Amino acid sequence: MLETLFYGAALIALTATAAALTRANAAHALIYLIVSLLAVAVLFFLLGAPFAAALEIVIYAGAIMVLFVFVIMMLNVGESGRAQEREWLRARHWIVPGILAAALLLELLLALRHNPVATSAMEVDPKRVGLALFGPYVLAVEIASLLLLAALVGAYHLGRHFIVRREDQR
Amino acid sequence: MNAADFQALLPLLVLSGGAVLLMLQIAFVRGVNRSAALATLTLVLAALSCASAVEQAPRQVTPLLVMDAFALLFCAVFCLAAAVTVLLSGDYISYHGDEPEEYFLLLVLSTLGACVLVSANHVASLVLGLELLSVSLYALIAYPNKSILPLEAAIKYLVLSGTASATTLFGFALLYAATGTLAFDALGEQLTATATGRPMLLLAGAMVFAGLGFKFSLVPFHLWTPDVYHGAPAPVTGFLASVSKAAVFLVLLRLFLDADLFRYRILVELTGLIAILSMLAGNLLALLQTNIKRMLAYSSIAHMGYLLLVFMVCIERDNRGLAVEAAAYYLIAYIATIIAAFGLLTLVSARQVEREDVQLQHVSGLFWRQPLLACLLLVALLSLVGVPLTAGFIAKFYLVVAAVDGSNWVLLGALIVGSAIGIYYYMRVIYYMSRKPEQQVSQAAPADGLAVRVLSGALIVIILLLGTVPQPLMAYIRSIL
Repeated sequence: MLETLFYGAALIALTATAAALTRANAAHALIYLIVSLLAVAVLFFLLGAPFAAALEIVIYAGAIMVLFVFVIMMLNVGESGRAQEREWLRARHWIVPGILAAALLLELLLALRHNPVATSAMEVDPKRVGLALFGPYVLAVEIASLLLLAALVGAYHLGRHFIVRREDQR
Repeated sequence: MNAADFQALLPLLVLSGGAVLLMLQIAFVRGVNRSAALATLTLVLAALSCASAVEQAPRQVTPLLVMDAFALLFCAVFCLAAAVTVLLSGDYISYHGDEPEEYFLLLVLSTLGACVLVSANHVASLVLGLELLSVSLYALIAYPNKSILPLEAAIKYLVLSGTASATTLFGFALLYAATGTLAFDALGEQLTATATGRPMLLLAGAMVFAGLGFKFSLVPFHLWTPDVYHGAPAPVTGFLASVSKAAVFLVLLRLFLDADLFRYRILVELTGLIAILSMLAGNLLALLQTNIKRMLAYSSIAHMGYLLLVFMVCIERDNRGLAVEAAAYYLIAYIATIIAAFGLLTLVSARQVEREDVQLQHVSGLFWRQPLLACLLLVALLSLVGVPLTAGFIAKFYLVVAAVDGSNWVLLGALIVGSAIGIYYYMRVIYYMSRKPEQQVSQAAPADGLAVRVLSGALIVIILLLGTVPQPLMAYIRSIL
């Protein structure tokens, strides 16, 4: 039963990703990408890693993607943008992602009827993750923090230049 | 972790601490000279701390890193190479204008990535080190972002390198699925025990190799190299060509040695084929270039091809010591030569509008305009050709000996043919340099400071020393293997 659910979620993830890649419109592609990330979260959940699933939803599907959607929406302000947004909100644009997301919800509900919810032998709860990260992998956490520093400084430098140039034009 | 662990990790700790200090310094008081000085100090201290860390070697620090004498030797080399890069780029970066300080921070972080890579014996540290190295490099390449060339180069590198990282990661995920472990040595043991089918393992191996081969710019994955070398600021190109490649090569070598992947003949023979392709294609394409940086890019593909030859030699367990020794010597000689060459190109292209663009005619008549600079560049180029008395000769000689030991005649033939082609295009640069200048090209003497000249001179001395008295380094490398 759980295996069937797993392959179902995998199929949804693949479909949504393929759709995200082929959409011409960035906003539509993002909706599919969010569905794809949700499907991956369900996969983690079914594999016995509820913490990873929650992180996937909170960080990827939640924070990062919402930020993306905001930025894209903000690029279309004004009357023409409003017309475009109305166009985007037509049913034919959101009905397929909606169905896929509903299917994922259904899968989640079906999976919750099983106990324990895991296709693998071991469940990886937050405590295990924390113990691993700050036990044997503590150096990985440190290196990752420096990696983020490098990315942040690089993005700041490149982005800052862009902002300054805009101000000059005014 | 205890005191001994911390002592073994000292170079990495110094680099991380230096990066944080540098960040704080930039946040409070900006100043190119201050940042450059702090970065140089950090890098030199990190290099010196390797001497203290080596007392604890070899030591496994957490499951992620192994600090052995070999890794520490290359940590020291990388830190020194980065310090030289810092000094070479001071003028370059401030010439390009606003906020040059973060450049040095990124360079320190990138060096840290390289040091993590050489000491990684776990997939997690490999991937993190690789990303730290590449992410800093994206920003370094695009740093002078008023001009179009660096931006173009950085975008290309970002997209392609991101794809390569994803491919590597996918390969490792497949390996993990098959073996259930991420440590290199356990991975090797589990590979024989695993029940997973051979096709999946081969696919995983090929994906890992393709991803790392991209970073290492071997032939089917080399398309980014000329564009990125061309567009990046010359000191960054030098760093990318030497430190980043050496680090990726060394971690690949460690993966193969620790996991004993040499028993998979088909995988190793694939590297042999790629080595031959890289040698020939790199050298042939270099013939067609009129831009010196592009030419050096293609020639670096060929050089990495020569180096990859050691993988084939390693098949026989008895030859491994010599092969690794040859690779280590080759890498050190190559790092010194390439950094010297790109440092000198920085000087040649000083005060140009598009400073990233160095064409053959820019060096035309260099012997008559700036004899000292031309002589130094001559030595660097001769070392790349592999002329006796330079580091390049001993390095290539070492490889030939290793190849003869392993009786890899086809590879040896490709190396000789490649080197013969190489002579032509390096000599062409020298020919251009020796032409009588027809009209006085407007270039006045470059305004770069004394430090850069002294440094380039010192690098040339190192190249000549490595080429004339190679025994101490050889003996040291042999003693730590």
